[in-house]
Amino acid sequence: MFYAQLLVNGLVQGLVIGLAALSITLVFGIARFPNAATGDFMTFGAYAALSAHKATGSIAMGGLAAIIATGVISLLAYLAVFRRLAERSVVALLVASIGIAFFIRAVLGVAFGHSQQVFQVPLSRPYVFGSVRITPLDLQLAAVALAALALVFAILYLTPIGRQMRAVADNRDLARVSGIRPDRVMIALWLLAGSVAGVAGMMLGIKTIVTPEFGWEMLLPAFTAAILGGIGSPVGAVVAGLILGVVQEVSTPLVGFTYKIALAFIIMLAVLLVRPRGLFGRLEGAR
Amino acid sequence: MEAYFIAIGIIALIYVILSLGLTLQYGLTGLINFGHVGFFAIGAYTSALLALKGVPLVFSFAAAAALAGLAAWPLGLVSLRLRDDYFAIVTLGFSEVVRIVITSERWLTNGVQGIPGIPRLYEGLGGSAAQLAVLVTVLAVTLVGAWIIRRIAGSPFGRLIEAIRDNEEAVQALGKDPARFKIQVLVVGAALAGIAGAFYAHYITYIVPDQFIPLVTFYVWMAIIMGGVGRVSGAIVGTAILMLFLEGSRFLRDIVPGVSEVDMASVRIGAVGLLLVLFIMYRPQGLMGDYTKR
Repeated sequence: MFYAQLLVNGLVQGLVIGLAALSITLVFGIARFPNAATGDFMTFGAYAALSAHKATGSIAMGGLAAIIATGVISLLAYLAVFRRLAERSVVALLVASIGIAFFIRAVLGVAFGHSQQVFQVPLSRPYVFGSVRITPLDLQLAAVALAALALVFAILYLTPIGRQMRAVADNRDLARVSGIRPDRVMIALWLLAGSVAGVAGMMLGIKTIVTPEFGWEMLLPAFTAAILGGIGSPVGAVVAGLILGVVQEVSTPLVGFTYKIALAFIIMLAVLLVRPRGLFGRLEGAR
Repeated sequence: MEAYFIAIGIIALIYVILSLGLTLQYGLTGLINFGHVGFFAIGAYTSALLALKGVPLVFSFAAAAALAGLAAWPLGLVSLRLRDDYFAIVTLGFSEVVRIVITSERWLTNGVQGIPGIPRLYEGLGGSAAQLAVLVTVLAVTLVGAWIIRRIAGSPFGRLIEAIRDNEEAVQALGKDPARFKIQVLVVGAALAGIAGAFYAHYITYIVPDQFIPLVTFYVWMAIIMGGVGRVSGAIVGTAILMLFLEGSRFLRDIVPGVSEVDMASVRIGAVGLLLVLFIMYRPQGLMGDYTKR
């Protein structure tokens, strides 16, 4: 029954990883590079939510602030840097994303200080099912994550711009000759990827403590989930995030708390070795 | 003052050795190694721990190089058949895992408390003479390293790895297996980083996991990008600028009142980020790079 509790904890953690992986896989699939600034986008979202929550006392306002602010910062990163590097090699984009990550972290460190900050959320009595305890907060967070996921998938699969994004991910040149304007697609992509990372950051911030480094530390699990799910597959990213979250939690009694991230790395290597295209990816992706 | 310059010189040369490894891996072969600090850490801890057990430093240095190189080998086997960007993620993850392991395995590495009292090189000479001897030794190793890399660049092997960088499919079509050469390059670069780590450990005499954060990797990246990718002269010039930047920021903190060490660390990280972005955007060939190509 102890493991049932870990399973529940893992699912909430998995939703955070899944959202972060979704942000990575969208950018990787459409803009074609692994965005190492995703973790620091999350941190940015967490601080935005924290500030709004302090000012208004409302978690919903915090979430709105995270979505808007992180979407905007992500779009700015695209307009100022990534767009101008679009024709260059993947390493240019990759190094630039590291640079942006460092820059965001530095700005947050100077603006908010390096002390740990927490969301002041009221404690509430957990629901008890047998020996499994679920806090109302976890349920709320899960609801927020699921709502965010539903929205993203609705945009991707039900709207014209979502269809265009998937078309560009599928075949950029074919999309262009079909009359899809790449610029609009990219703007939508970066807004979406940023907002999703912002939500992930806020959730992680509410679950743990916020520091300027805390998003960066999620980068490895998020990349692992994106690769496990198959690069470019939004469904895969979320499913893999949930799997990874549960595996990390359930294995904690065996491997210890500190090796959670190392475990993500081992899983990443195993996936790359055995099935580089991941669970839902296409064949040509990784090699 | 003289002691200060010797100290700066030693640290700068350690960074040059690190940049030489990355020049071989990225500059010549195109391997995006984002985990350089992992090999640096393995070298530092290996040599420090062996030396404290009484192993002569010559052997502990050799072990540092060997172990760092050895760690690179399976990593290369797993990931070098994949696309470049995957390799970048895997190496970044590797260096983080190295840091987690040295933080967690207290029985071996003393965890976050770190390892104090690592023996210095030439301890018998004492004082400034020993410092100077260390400087000369690091310089000699750096020069040998630079010479080897220039030799490699001019050899058939060098032309092959540059061909891998420029067009991997073409190399494959000629019947060569790029992965094999990439693994060799990865191992040699990692061994160089291991030697740099050993010098670092025996010079600083006190190592903790926090000295081996990914920022160090990107200091080295910054150095080779600023200096000019793929050139030994670029690695040296870039490292000189890096040292000016690191020491300058320390100096600045001392004269500007009211700036705490953590704030200065933030400013430093921010400046590294900004410089990486600006150089990539506006001067990708670096200061010493070939101006005729882009």
